[in-house]
Amino acid sequence: MNKHISDMSREKIFNAIKSAKPTITADAKTIEDEALELLKESEFARPQLMSEDATEALMLRIDAGLVIGTTCEKISTLDMLPHSVKQFFDRNSLPAELKVQSVEPLNKLNWQGITTDIDIVNDNTVGLCWAEYGVAETGSFVAHSSPEMPILLNFLPLYLIAIIPKSKILHYMDDYALIANEIAKKKQTPRNMCLISGVSGTTDIEGVLVKGAHGPEVLHIIIVEDE
Amino acid sequence: MQANKPENFTQNVTDALAQPDLKMIIRRTTDKAEAKRTDAIANFPEFEKARAQGQKVKDHTIKHMDHYLAEFEKNALAQGTIVHWASTAEEASKIVLDICREHKAKKVTRSKSMLGEEIGLTHAFDNSDIERIETDLAEHIIQLAGDPPSHIIWPAMHRSREDVVKLFREFHSDPTYSEEITDLVRSARRDLRTKFLTSDIGISGSNFLLADSGSSCTVTNEGNAELTITPPKVHIVTAGIEKLVPSMAHAIPLLRLLTRSATGADITQYITFHNGPKRKNDADGPEECHIVLVDNGRTKMLAEGMEEMLRCIRCGACMNHCVVYKHIGGHAYGSVYPGPMGSVLTPHLQSLEVANKQTHACTMNGRCEDVCPVNIPLPKLLRSLRAQSWQKKYEPLTNRFFVKFFGQLAKRPQLFQLFSSCGVIFMKIFSRNGWIKFMPFTSGWTKNRDLIEPETTTFMHQYKKLKNLKVMERKL
Ligand code: SF4
Repeated sequence: MNKHISDMSREKIFNAIKSAKPTITADAKTIEDEALELLKESEFARPQLMSEDATEALMLRIDAGLVIGTTCEKISTLDMLPHSVKQFFDRNSLPAELKVQSVEPLNKLNWQGITTDIDIVNDNTVGLCWAEYGVAETGSFVAHSSPEMPILLNFLPLYLIAIIPKSKILHYMDDYALIANEIAKKKQTPRNMCLISGVSGTTDIEGVLVKGAHGPEVLHIIIVEDE
Repeated sequence: MQANKPENFTQNVTDALAQPDLKMIIRRTTDKAEAKRTDAIANFPEFEKARAQGQKVKDHTIKHMDHYLAEFEKNALAQGTIVHWASTAEEASKIVLDICREHKAKKVTRSKSMLGEEIGLTHAFDNSDIERIETDLAEHIIQLAGDPPSHIIWPAMHRSREDVVKLFREFHSDPTYSEEITDLVRSARRDLRTKFLTSDIGISGSNFLLADSGSSCTVTNEGNAELTITPPKVHIVTAGIEKLVPSMAHAIPLLRLLTRSATGADITQYITFHNGPKRKNDADGPEECHIVLVDNGRTKMLAEGMEEMLRCIRCGACMNHCVVYKHIGGHAYGSVYPGPMGSVLTPHLQSLEVANKQTHACTMNGRCEDVCPVNIPLPKLLRSLRAQSWQKKYEPLTNRFFVKFFGQLAKRPQLFQLFSSCGVIFMKIFSRNGWIKFMPFTSGWTKNRDLIEPETTTFMHQYKKLKNLKVMERKL
């Protein structure tokens, strides 16, 4: 029944568009060229970065307090990560417990003294995730859903630590769109592509900003220079 | 709170103006939004270029809407999404409810979507045996209060902290007894957490639909969209057909404009592109994904030369800057979409007959057009709706009489001058200390505010005098 309604509506909608714009006809190639032409303007219509170097620009943006609830540090090698995580626990007076995303570079590390597989359904937990990309323009990290990347890991814990390899930090969101386009061409688009720029926040009660509305209240980004 | 009706606009406005704190409550949020937007634009010198680009992206997509709709459908199907089409609001909400029933859903979570409100989804669920849980904090508040939304970005802005305290104490399973806003938000977090995780179906809207990938994009600050969509087995997206853009690269300039115009932030915390159901072995995500593409008056707007309105990215800047909205708030409009954008949209989504008064509420100061991130000429569109309303004889007889009378006078300059001179004398009779509190034939104005006393003589008289003076000066 719904299929029938849907098919009829589809036809109605396409007919209505055609009769509203009877003179507009163009082949797919012309439309594509027109669309590509529009993207040439992006270079002049986006904000200046705080530095020409993408990593520095991302860090400066976070340090300037422009990314809500977020702090940032840089480590030279990945094996320094457990130490940085312990310092994060100390700074926030948290027990040494976290949920580590099950991904090879993180699995290989020595997590001695830290419980690494807690249940994130409970509140007040800490999540550690491996970002696909960083974006300097917005101080974001990008997470892609996969068998190793539960999307909820970025949304359930009250504290979140995201690792971004330095080599994966992009200047602009447009650069990420180009990558997403390449992934799509290979038919490997993940179900979710999340650009995360700060913590879960709300201003819904009297316009006052409160962090940790549903998801993280604290986000710490760790940039790894040499993976 | 009962939802107002657009046809009762005059009474709705009277009721709104009679609420003692409403104006202060509205201004608390809108003035802050205005100031933050001003700062954001000042820190983005490329704004005008971005705005021009954003407008072109939307115009291009609208121009080739049939092409992009077909592309979107093809690519969404390839991702494994089930695509539905709905011409009307009723069809759209029926499709959504039927999907829920097919899956024997008892509980659905919903992240904020104005389209969901537009198609009457909230009422459809409330009249069914399926529990609806709003997950955006503001929507959660107004659901508990039984209110309609009053703003497209801050739907609960008409509710004070004291109201929220009472609501949460009454409805939350583990409520806070503190009145601190942080504690109130924590109370909602606790209450909604289990609901997110036990929902049968997650329903979202979409800020953008990407034609080249069949993706839908959600934009939130709370992260409630991802929490709504990820745990349940089924995800349903409802989206208007005007949400299309060619690709992610085309959505990005619009994202830059949207967040700065809506909240004054350079970017929102969470932007997620959803590409169908979960992939094999994915750690989480819905197993089934549906998208309902809704027309509900949009193709009619295209046919009636109102396509500029289809550029709207629902940022709410026009209402934050509207002097009328700031006085009467969102409920008075009697529609899901209030403010300037609502005054253009509602006549198309419902009918001009029921929503023509809203088109007349505009002062034509042009601020909405000045701040619109995609350059929608809202005053021009409102004027065109006024003209249609006149042609269709929707104006009250007294208004029609006076406008026609004015038209006749305006064609006869001498008669016009005679009448305006008499008008000035007439007005002077009623003025006290520079203001007119009452005068026959003007109760529509003087009921709520005073009229300023006119100058001693008419404009034409003063103009002539000045001209003569200048001629004399030149002669001298
Ligand atoms: S009309 Fe313009 S300013 Fe108003 S909501 Fe739409 S995009 Fe924003």
